[in-house]
Amino acid sequence: MAEPQTPPTRPFRFRVHRRKAGDAGGRYDSFEVALDERRTVLDGLVAIRREHDPSLTFRHSCFHASCGTCGMRVNGADVLACVTQVTDLGGEVTVEPLANLPLVSDLVVEMGAFYGPFDRAGRPLVRESEMLPGAERAEGVEVLTRYEDCIECGICVSACPVAGSDPRYAGPAALGAAGRVVLEPRNADRATALRFADDEHGIWRCHVAYECTEACPSNADPGGHIMRLRRTATADRFRRWFGAGRAAR
Amino acid sequence: MSEQRPVTPAPAARPVERRRGWWGWFDPRGRRLGGWAFALNRLTGLGLVAYLYLHLGVLALLARGPEAWDAFVDFALNPLVLVGDVVLIFGMLFHGLNGLRVGLVGYGVVASRQAALFVGLMIIGAIVLVVATLRVFA
Amino acid sequence: MNETASLRDPAHVLIVGGGGTGGALAHDLVLRGVRVTLVERGEITSGTTGRHHGLLHSGARYAVKDKESAVECIEENTILRRICPGSFELNDGLFVAVTDEDVAYEPGFVEACRESGIPARRVSRAEALRLEPHLNPETKLAVQIPDGTMDAMRMPLRFFASAKHNGAVIRPWTAVEEIVISDRTVTGVRVRDLTSGAGEEISADLVVNATGPWAEIVARLAGCDVPVQPSPGVLLAVRGRWCNMVLNRLHPSGDGDIIVPQRGLSVVGTSSWVVTDPDDLGVPEDHVERMYAEGAKLVPAVRGAERRAAWSAARPLIGSRGASTGRELSRTFKCFDHRETDGVEGFVTISGGKGTTLRAMAEKTADVVCAKLGIDVPCRTRDTVLLPHSAYYLN
Repeated sequence: MAEPQTPPTRPFRFRVHRRKAGDAGGRYDSFEVALDERRTVLDGLVAIRREHDPSLTFRHSCFHASCGTCGMRVNGADVLACVTQVTDLGGEVTVEPLANLPLVSDLVVEMGAFYGPFDRAGRPLVRESEMLPGAERAEGVEVLTRYEDCIECGICVSACPVAGSDPRYAGPAALGAAGRVVLEPRNADRATALRFADDEHGIWRCHVAYECTEACPSNADPGGHIMRLRRTATADRFRRWFGAGRAAR
Repeated sequence: MSEQRPVTPAPAARPVERRRGWWGWFDPRGRRLGGWAFALNRLTGLGLVAYLYLHLGVLALLARGPEAWDAFVDFALNPLVLVGDVVLIFGMLFHGLNGLRVGLVGYGVVASRQAALFVGLMIIGAIVLVVATLRVFA
Repeated sequence: MNETASLRDPAHVLIVGGGGTGGALAHDLVLRGVRVTLVERGEITSGTTGRHHGLLHSGARYAVKDKESAVECIEENTILRRICPGSFELNDGLFVAVTDEDVAYEPGFVEACRESGIPARRVSRAEALRLEPHLNPETKLAVQIPDGTMDAMRMPLRFFASAKHNGAVIRPWTAVEEIVISDRTVTGVRVRDLTSGAGEEISADLVVNATGPWAEIVARLAGCDVPVQPSPGVLLAVRGRWCNMVLNRLHPSGDGDIIVPQRGLSVVGTSSWVVTDPDDLGVPEDHVERMYAEGAKLVPAVRGAERRAAWSAARPLIGSRGASTGRELSRTFKCFDHRETDGVEGFVTISGGKGTTLRAMAEKTADVVCAKLGIDVPCRTRDTVLLPHSAYYLN
């Protein structure tokens, strides 16, 4: 194979949130790393860990907006570090952990708090053919399947102002998951998902800031699911009140 | 060279709870239209509630007869109070029009264009505000 | 070291490396009654495992040149579908002939697939274009094989979830600083908990080095030689889901000859070169350009599609020194028992493999580990359905 070409690099300044277990509070460490124009914030963090400080902890895995682990606040915006180019940020790059989730250390947040309500919504990971309209199946393929868009990154939770001030709010991620189950239950229990969502701390706690859908890096549209769930829940209620005792399905 | 020691259990890392809090509503970094709408809706809501009490207090003056009321009207024509009126009208327009958006989008109507809807309603509000301001100061 | 492990005092195995290999090994060993601790300096799967394009291999790519690998792949493909239900897009794949040379390659290819137990079906140009409308209109024919798509991080994470819930202690953010040796026997490791800065020593009856392209660096901590070099390749993710089936070029392996759909993106891969530092792979722009060019031969729309990400992932390349040392557990992975290779007891390195064969790798490594520990319990991972990946984060 031909020797790979190394593109020219220039220095970038990073200001990174640091906090270890047992520290009274957080602080910011400054680093300078040389990166080429195409590199991302995640590439910068990897370089910082390699060249300056191996004790820096941050989550990452796939490098292409597929695993959702590298969610962080970069210059205040909730983004995936692996697809945020350093040149788009101008000047200093400030990196902080996602908001509204407990902090383990530095940039690492505790995902148990995210997955708790998320799992209670009972969501499947892979959808079936209804989500791929018009596509033809190859012989022997019973049903076309496709991964859910949601990559469980927690960015919507970090961006949500209600999640920021109400610890009992189920959050856009979990409600989006419930919305997907209600749309396509597969083997999950639609009624349970609807009951989970149709709650004062669920879909009715949302105030339509819509920061979740705007910030979502993967088109999962949690806001849209919350609104659709409201319609479904309301329709179900009307049916129950005026439907002469017929149970909500 | 070290002698065999029993496995030491890891110190249990206790994650630190953190939320941005209500002051995070006003952090401009990373904030988009809908987030500002949310924050302003809360502010205008509080403002309008406060105004409601003020208004009731003013109306109570009616029970105290024409002198009390006339004195108040003189005070109310003070330019600063007129500016306050414009602020009040802004608050009513914003809260009402954004409330319309929240109600519509909240039931999935035009949900995918919620930011555009916000802009559209604010433009209507701005026009009405300008007209109202001119009439207040006329 | 325990010669016989009783249920009351099970042997303790420490696994260094939180990739797919480490996770699957932890799962296998814990089911055999072994006490397992796994340490990983970063996030689980943050090494090579999480970075690949997510192909659930049918083995077809190996059928012509390397039948043993092909058979291994199709067997593991079948097993993974059984033990990780709901974790894959099972839309099959196509090997697409775009040139006359490709067409000439087809008969031998189909024959080789069938001999390896890989169902292969010839597909006409018209049908191929109906199934995948964005295919190169110059497509001449195609072969359908049971490729699938996996989420490169979430599928291995299921092994970690099951291992953890069966009692394995999984410790990310825990960096190995020293391998403790006494009398030419590894007795444990000194680690640093990066979330607190605290150092500690963990003793073990056996330490397994499952660090992929970092294998040589870690082995050196025990004074052992493992000739593994990081060999990265570039991958390119573009916006747009341009196919539902995995698309491969019907020719002998080459750069950029596969496109894997990943949610709303399409991933084109890969290339190959060699580096010395697995933490500094680089992303050569000319290789990325090659992905665009080769990918466009399968799906022309790739050429103009917006770049979502371009990154590198390092395969562990076993060097020529390793050709004569180490035991080949299979054509795709190797185990180095350092008692045999370096005279150091209690230390084993496992290297090689691919995303699809993680369970098989773990089974064979666990067999070696258990034999060394005097444990005679058969593997149960072929039929044990794994917990969902989210269970890893929950108690």
